[in-house]
Amino acid sequence: MDNRDKTLIIVAIVICVIICCLAPFIASGNPDGLEKSAEDANVSEEKATVAVEPPFPDYTFEPLESLGEVGVLILGVLLTLICGWGVAEIVKRRS
Amino acid sequence: MHIPDGFIPFWQCIIYYIILIVALYFASKWARENLDEKRIPLLAVLAAGIFAIMSMNIPIPFGTSGHMVGGALVAIIFCAPEAAILVFTVVLLIQALVFGDGGITVLGANVLNMAIIGGCTGLYTFKALKDKIGIYASAGIGAWLATVLAALACALEMAAAGTFPLSVGVPSMVLYHVFIGIIEAVLTVIVIMALNKFRPDLLVWNKNKIEGGE
Repeated sequence: MDNRDKTLIIVAIVICVIICCLAPFIASGNPDGLEKSAEDANVSEEKATVAVEPPFPDYTFEPLESLGEVGVLILGVLLTLICGWGVAEIVKRRS
Repeated sequence: MHIPDGFIPFWQCIIYYIILIVALYFASKWARENLDEKRIPLLAVLAAGIFAIMSMNIPIPFGTSGHMVGGALVAIIFCAPEAAILVFTVVLLIQALVFGDGGITVLGANVLNMAIIGGCTGLYTFKALKDKIGIYASAGIGAWLATVLAALACALEMAAAGTFPLSVGVPSMVLYHVFIGIIEAVLTVIVIMALNKFRPDLLVWNKNKIEGGE
């Protein structure tokens, strides 16, 4: 990995962290397009279930409120970065 | 656009999982032939960036909100919808299991909409238009169309699942995603502009130019 790749990774992480710090405060809480369409069709909210109980439902960590949201989002970014990298290493081109 | 558990009956989930397995077979085949060491960091940071940007819901009219998805972006950058399939399988799996965003039983349907339909629509629109109207305009149109077609597919799946009928699903989903698609288009173009300026070597369509010049 050369310096340009390191710069790419650092810049990307910085941008992601900025988004994670802002999102809990400025992201809209309105329903998304699919949720709103379900509302339009009078689908009961109970129709949406959760098959596997997640550790941080809806990107929240209750005890820490907004700070917890920022924290779990950053955790998510690092987790996707590592898993994305890991999967790429497994399937990459073999010479 | 993340479908939650419960919106699609179990037997239909299996069909979408079969599609996902076939898609992953082609994606890993593509990676074995094309994913070189140099582009691994790019794939990883795109996965992380897509995870982050999906938390940023932007308000649109009608009391609704939407966020960038990024299927078109990944497919365009790698010139391969297979790359979007890899990235979205990772991102959607983590979102479902760790954050309860989108269901685990409906993972196949979510990858189908966002990565396969979104990625193919974005990439092939981009390819068809780029020599006529330039890379940025064609990427923007590709990203917008990817969002709208993925939403349309989602409405069809919801009708097949019996969750909501086409008569409500198609107009609602398409109307909202016409606006959400604008967010998708703007952010897709910004990322491609930034890569083209700072790391043109990572973009496949610059490859011949750069190699030719060396």
